[in-house]
Amino acid sequence: MHATRSLTHPHDAPSGSDASSGSEGPADTIVEAAGVRSYAITRGRAQGTVHLEIESMLRLTERGVLLGERLQFEPARVAELCRTEILSVAEVSARLRLPLGVIRVLASDLIVEGLLEAYMTSVNVADDIDLISRLIEGVRAL
Amino acid sequence: MLSDLDTPPETRSPIPVKIVVAGGFGVGKTTFVGAISDIAPLTTEAAMTTAAEGIDDRGHVSTKTTTTVAMDFGRVAVDSSIMLYIFGTPGQDRFGFMWNDLVRGALGAVVLVDSRRIEDSFPALDYFEHRNLPFVVAVNAFDGTIFHSSDDVREALSIAPLVPVVITDARSRDAVKSTLLSLLHVSLEQARARARKG
Repeated sequence: MHATRSLTHPHDAPSGSDASSGSEGPADTIVEAAGVRSYAITRGRAQGTVHLEIESMLRLTERGVLLGERLQFEPARVAELCRTEILSVAEVSARLRLPLGVIRVLASDLIVEGLLEAYMTSVNVADDIDLISRLIEGVRAL
Repeated sequence: MLSDLDTPPETRSPIPVKIVVAGGFGVGKTTFVGAISDIAPLTTEAAMTTAAEGIDDRGHVSTKTTTTVAMDFGRVAVDSSIMLYIFGTPGQDRFGFMWNDLVRGALGAVVLVDSRRIEDSFPALDYFEHRNLPFVVAVNAFDGTIFHSSDDVREALSIAPLVPVVITDARSRDAVKSTLLSLLHVSLEQARARARKG
């Protein structure tokens, strides 16, 4: 039963190309304002081209440091946060009070432009005996 | 391209890893995260758009609603490069959509149980069992009180013999540390078992 549910992608929101036209029909008023805003920020995209996990860590590249000031609005805020600290997608989302999906799309765009870089572990991290051993040592020493 | 392996070792790339803490509403997930986190727990939101009943008779999508699910998390710098993220996630059925994201690449999960409301942990247990994600069951002792022994909880939840059932105290850093260590040992055992097979 849960396996079925797990196949439902979290970003199954309409990924329509007509989103940017944003019809303001009465039907839309049902959707919460936050949803509409997220949609507008990502220009209707539910996913970016670069896959990011919620724990993937983001840092501005040298190019990003040089060119980041040309950015505007939300992408500029993402770049600004990742200039001095390496932060996860989740942290950027929390600090900017924007949904995870939105940050993923914005960060993906910045990575494609070479302004941001991402660090993530392989999806097979659970098979990484050395890493898990290091974690055990590290947590024990906390 | 983005994996840690491809970057030169001298740049000391951060290695983010994650553990999920699941459980019913009010079971103490955020407290658990806060007890070990280097930062005060943060809240992030995942928005879900549901087209519940489809399209109305005039062709308008009139039943579309956006549900926002909040998730609290923290992080711990485990050594000079490993950053452990701990995500607390609501255990209710209807939030299942988010778990796929959460669980992908996770080292394991802690299912936090309130021994007065054991049934709240069913969805999380089912899900992790199904996904073969290493997990431990941690009974949170509220005010030091456990209403059922860990054996009772194991039996009530039909938990496999290899899955540890531990008593924890979400407020205590040491108790949380030791719960995480129980989990990491399960993760290690499973990784070793797969390595032997493979």
